[in-house]
Amino acid sequence: MSANAEHVEGDISQKAIDARVTEVIKKAIQRNIPGLASLPETEAQLEVGTSDKELIYSQDTARLYHYTPLVDEIYRVPILLVMSPLARGYIMDLAKGQSLVEYFLKAGHDVYMIDWAAPQKKHKDLSLSSYACDMLGDCIDKVVADSGEPDVSLVGYCMGGLLSVCYQATHPDSPVKNLACFTTPVNGDGMVLYKKWLTSKSFDMDRLVDELGVIPTEIINMSMQALRPLHKNANQLKLLNNVDNDEFVKAHLRFERWAVDQLPFPGALAKEFMIDFVRDNKLIKKELELNGTIVDLSNITVPFLHVAASFDHIVPEASSKDLIGMVGSEDKKEIIVRGGHVSLVAGGNAIYRLWPQLDQWISERAD
Amino acid sequence: MAGKDDLDPMRMMREWFVKSEQMYSEAMTEVMGDERFSKTTGRYMQETLHMQKMFGEAMGQYLANLNLPSRAEVVEIKERVTSIEATLDSILVEMRALRAQSASGTSAAPKKNPVRTKKAPVKDA
Repeated sequence: MSANAEHVEGDISQKAIDARVTEVIKKAIQRNIPGLASLPETEAQLEVGTSDKELIYSQDTARLYHYTPLVDEIYRVPILLVMSPLARGYIMDLAKGQSLVEYFLKAGHDVYMIDWAAPQKKHKDLSLSSYACDMLGDCIDKVVADSGEPDVSLVGYCMGGLLSVCYQATHPDSPVKNLACFTTPVNGDGMVLYKKWLTSKSFDMDRLVDELGVIPTEIINMSMQALRPLHKNANQLKLLNNVDNDEFVKAHLRFERWAVDQLPFPGALAKEFMIDFVRDNKLIKKELELNGTIVDLSNITVPFLHVAASFDHIVPEASSKDLIGMVGSEDKKEIIVRGGHVSLVAGGNAIYRLWPQLDQWISERAD
Repeated sequence: MAGKDDLDPMRMMREWFVKSEQMYSEAMTEVMGDERFSKTTGRYMQETLHMQKMFGEAMGQYLANLNLPSRAEVVEIKERVTSIEATLDSILVEMRALRAQSASGTSAAPKKNPVRTKKAPVKDA
């Protein structure tokens, strides 16, 4: 009995010592490395995508959200943000003060967003036509019905931009009034590394798709990392150099979370993108077909804006620079921002330089 | 902790790496673009797919004997949960539509929507 009591007593004192040591270490860290004081312990504490929104349409992998307006008077034409089918939409609504959605809402826009859900095995046959014509087309119709306005401003990011231009080129009489694209690839030859892999006889894309059905995120992450293999390491060292800066640490963690939070690629879409778009460069050659219609970007005649990043390694300049020339619009403009693929939509340069320009361009065409 | 202006050799080394990373990354990407690398990667991918299929089946059988779920079964459960989430999303959408319909059919005060009259600020000449 007394031996047991001693054991319990010993346990308690050991726990107390552990707790005390943990507390002392925590305090020491907080005192000496301020950035770690507010380090979130779980992913949920990072708080991303916080703007108030409501789901208004759901079909296959498409999720259409409407953000609650923040002001009493808004522009007539609503904005529809189109995300890349490979990325989560919260990059557009990363955190308070670092959110393009919040910026648009405060500026008086009515904002909708297509945020794609992760495809399952049953979605393996969803193709470029399914995304660019069927689902995007349905979402545009829903926005028109929900807002009660006959037209929409479309804003596409990365592959979302590709879907948007493909849709508008094959539906020139659509409700789209203005079209803005962020870092949108159109020239497969510009995606040099992927092109080299795909033209190699040893790389069997068909087999990969047939075996896996839906390409998992691990493969997508690996192939994206191959474009700049040491970038992640450099970012980690940058974090270490700025660990005493609370805001830097939080922003870094949010970016990092988003960067690895990719979506799987439906097999049919992956095949079309890698084979037809990158390897055979069919969009540039005007050979790419969607639902039997050739995608000819000169059919786009609505006001057009393209925003590219000068240090974008995912969609390099060589793959996006032809877009502005291919579009048939008379009212068209290109903005090149200093930054990378992600910082283009949520980095410091975006917040202070790009967003005001983007808001101005859309506002002038939104009534 | 050393300030930014201190001569911290580790910080200097990190800054050097951050600055020169792009150059080294480009060199590595160049190597990865080589036909021999593509060949090796292609072969590795095919072998991996083959091995994955072979081991997946064998391991699935082994786990079943141990009364444990295989990865394929866990993925299947995940797919079913995702399907339930998708169904819930559709129900939410339907509920929203019904709510809007019932609000328009009753005398209840409608939700105040913002007016769509905002104009772009006029640029200074």
